[in-house]
Amino acid sequence: MKPFRRKGDELVARLVDAEADIVGLLLDQLEQLLAADPADSGGDPVLERLLPSGHASDPQLAAEYRDLTEAGLRSGKADDLAMVRATVPPDGGEVRLDAEQARAWLRTTNDLRLAMGTRLGITAETEPPEIDAAGEGADDENSQLAVYYWLTAVQGSLIDALAAGRGDRR
Amino acid sequence: MAGPIAPERVSETSTGEESALDRPWVTVVWDDPVNLMTYVTFVLQELFGYDEATATELMLQVHNEGKAIVSSGPRERMEHDTNRLHAYGLWATYQRDA
Repeated sequence: MKPFRRKGDELVARLVDAEADIVGLLLDQLEQLLAADPADSGGDPVLERLLPSGHASDPQLAAEYRDLTEAGLRSGKADDLAMVRATVPPDGGEVRLDAEQARAWLRTTNDLRLAMGTRLGITAETEPPEIDAAGEGADDENSQLAVYYWLTAVQGSLIDALAAGRGDRR
Repeated sequence: MAGPIAPERVSETSTGEESALDRPWVTVVWDDPVNLMTYVTFVLQELFGYDEATATELMLQVHNEGKAIVSSGPRERMEHDTNRLHAYGLWATYQRDA
C-alpha cells in the first residue's frame, strides 16, 4: 500500500492486488451485516457498535431514537460502502478520491475497524501482532489483527491528508 | 434532516426549583478503543465547524476523562447531532443536561 496523499483536489493511494482483494472481502462482509434483518440480529455486539443506542440509560428515548434514525443510518452506510467499492481497482492499482468519495472512505474504513475491533476485543492496550516476513506467528487471530492495523494505517493516512488540505485552505 | 418535533414528556420528576424541562439537552461523545484521535478531531471539526484547537481539546477530554459534551441545545437538534456522529462511527448519546 502506498498511503493516501493529496494531489491537487484529489486523495490518491495505491493498493496491491492482495490488498484490493481483502478490501473487497471486508466490504462484502459489512454489506451482509448491514443488510441483516434487525429482528434477527438483536444482540450482535458488532451491529450494536455500528448502530449504537442514542441514549445511555432511558430505554424509551433510545427506542424513539432508533425508530427515527436506524433505517437512515443503515442506508447511509450502504451508500458509503457502494461508493468505496466503486473506487477500488479489482486487481490493485491507484485509488483516486474526490472530497465526497474521501468522506465515504473515512466512514467505511471506520465501520470496518469498528466491526473488526469489536470482534477481536481491541482495547487501548492492544498492540500490533508480531508476524515476521516468513509469515511466522501468523495464526488466524494474528492475521485478522494485522488486517485491522493495516486498515488503521490506510484510514490514518487519509485523515492526515484531508486534515493537511484543510489547513492549506485557511 | 432533524427529527420530527417530539412532544415533551412531563412524566420526569422535577428536581428542585428549576424544572427539568428548562434544562437544555446535550450531545455526549464517549471514549472507545478503536476510533483514532486524529479521526475524532477531524469529525468534530467537520460536523460542528470547531477550529482545530477546540476540536483537539474536546477530543482530549473524551480520551482522558472518558466523555465530553460536544453540543447543546433543543432535543431535536441533539438527536440530529447524535445521528450525524453515529454516521461517522463515533460513540455518541444525547441527554438532558445534568
